Amino acid sequence: MNKYIIAFVLCSCMTSCIKDEAKNNECDIESAWIEGAEFEKNFFQVTDMRKDNISSTETNITFGVRPLRQVPISTQLPIHFKITPGATIVPASGTPQDFTKGPVVYTVTSEDGQWKRSYNVSIQEVALPVQKLSFEDVEIQEVGARNQMHIFYEMAPADEGGSESAHRKYCWASGNAGAAILKTDSKPEDLPTYQSPDGKEGKCACLNTQSTGAFGALFGKPIAAGNLFLGEFIIEHVTSDALKATQFGIPNPKEPVRITGWYKYKPGEQFTDKDMEVHTDRKDEGSIYAVYYRNQDAEGNKYMLDGHAVEDLDKLMDNPQVYKVARVASLPPTDTWAQWEMYFEGKDAPDDLVQAQGFNLALVFSSSKDGAQFEGAVGSTLYIDEVEISYEK
Amino acid sequence: MKKTIIFAIEVMVLTFGMVGTAKAGILEELQLRARAGYSIGGTTPIPLPETIRSIDSYSLTPSFMAGVDAQLPLNQKWGISVGLHFENKAMDGDVTTKAYHMEVVKGDSKLTGLFTGHVNQKVTQWMFTIPVQATLQLGQKLSLRGGPYLSLLVSKEFSGIASDGYLRENNPTGAKILMGNKEGEWATYDFDDDMRTLQFGIGVGADWQVHKRIGLSADLNWGLTGIFPSDFKTIEQTLYPIYGTIGVFYRLK
Repeated sequence: MNKYIIAFVLCSCMTSCIKDEAKNNECDIESAWIEGAEFEKNFFQVTDMRKDNISSTETNITFGVRPLRQVPISTQLPIHFKITPGATIVPASGTPQDFTKGPVVYTVTSEDGQWKRSYNVSIQEVALPVQKLSFEDVEIQEVGARNQMHIFYEMAPADEGGSESAHRKYCWASGNAGAAILKTDSKPEDLPTYQSPDGKEGKCACLNTQSTGAFGALFGKPIAAGNLFLGEFIIEHVTSDALKATQFGIPNPKEPVRITGWYKYKPGEQFTDKDMEVHTDRKDEGSIYAVYYRNQDAEGNKYMLDGHAVEDLDKLMDNPQVYKVARVASLPPTDTWAQWEMYFEGKDAPDDLVQAQGFNLALVFSSSKDGAQFEGAVGSTLYIDEVEISYEK
Repeated sequence: MKKTIIFAIEVMVLTFGMVGTAKAGILEELQLRARAGYSIGGTTPIPLPETIRSIDSYSLTPSFMAGVDAQLPLNQKWGISVGLHFENKAMDGDVTTKAYHMEVVKGDSKLTGLFTGHVNQKVTQWMFTIPVQATLQLGQKLSLRGGPYLSLLVSKEFSGIASDGYLRENNPTGAKILMGNKEGEWATYDFDDDMRTLQFGIGVGADWQVHKRIGLSADLNWGLTGIFPSDFKTIEQTLYPIYGTIGVFYRLK
């Protein structure tokens, strides 16, 4: 009998044996920062010297600095990185590099040596105030299972940021990367936000609310509204805390007064809630709003307006960070281009802080106003074009 | 057609009749045991892949077994036993994974990637099992058994939750998607319909007669077929059902 018991125990041990841990196969830059009091003069705010929570889909890391003509930057600037444990980075973290000649490419290799990611790290003069946004330019980025998505960017004129030539400014973000998780082999037009050739002038942005299929419903996120906003989309949070994924706003050193633009809107047929229950009494609406807010909190930490902060637009002004809000009251359905405008209301921002990049401008478009709560109508489509921000009081 | 059926019935009647007469003497020696037991085990890859870092918890499940065995002694020591059991090979366990390959398919959407975090796995497999075993009598009270078994699943569940971690879409450089610790934030999956209906394996066991008709038994049943067909690629490793059963038996005859 004994030997059988031994055999039994042996078998059990064999199966429950945990193998040695494999080496890490990830290769991300998680944070990047510039250390040293001698470099502080180049930055408007100390918080601008750090980039934390870098999204796993991000490949461009940009630090904004004061105008180089006024404050020349060292050609020996060390940038420090926090990368995946065990991974290696070339050039090494903290070694001085010259960023005055354009982006420096950093390559991170995973601990197991099997995987690599490359990042363009650049130091740029902070942007001029945003003025005209006409959605003429996109780049195609591959995301997830061979999905292609449009990344809108604006062309900055030659003078801006001390560049000698016009350059791309990646100021726009959308939830496309989140919607793409559930797709395979999709074209840019298959995702909720893409560039359409049928603009008011030239091309335009098209936002449409989509079903995320049975799988999206599993996460209680059955629809994906088309959205486009000035800011960043942090994909990490898309399933666990979707409202945190949308980080609205980019620094804007001038206080906006009015925003105008053109739109076309068609609501989808069936309004559904996050459980995909149909509400025949509700009709989907598009949404356009903008927020001007202080990008540093009372403790001096970087502040970003996320999806949680804009859950109730009526209460936005209760947020101590928020100085001004502009909203388009309604977007009646129209299949021909119609104009919209909105005025900023609230309190005036202190000029010195505004000029020191202390304020962010968030501008948000969505094909379903309650899309963040996963309420809306599949098929709702909002076209946006020729957006102009004016600063004249 | 009709003729064929009648012929088939005649053949069957004849065969059973012949077997019946031939074995009439043997029937005297046939032993019948009613069995009941409780199984503990798992449905697991063998060996555990390096992507499984730890087994964190294991909950007891209603893995009951009941059945009847007919045992025919061939001589003083050796015999043969055939049974029909109804049993559940269930599992409810939690593991921690690192870069564990997962694919979740729902309707027309699919999410493939490497999951690092916590997986709660539930398996339920109610089945009829026919064990065919050689028996070896060791002394008055102890007998050992061993042989193959075949199981027909009548109810099956394979579902789970991936939580408290993140998924890298497609490969380690893909989008990192955090999974939270509550419904709506974590990912659920179930592959009930993909499971095999027939399973095959090897079982060994021991019977210890403690009283005239009552005894205790211990069995180990080792699945040789995975619980999914080999063309099911969603779960990278083949999962084998391996269960130990502690039971009692009652000699009916």
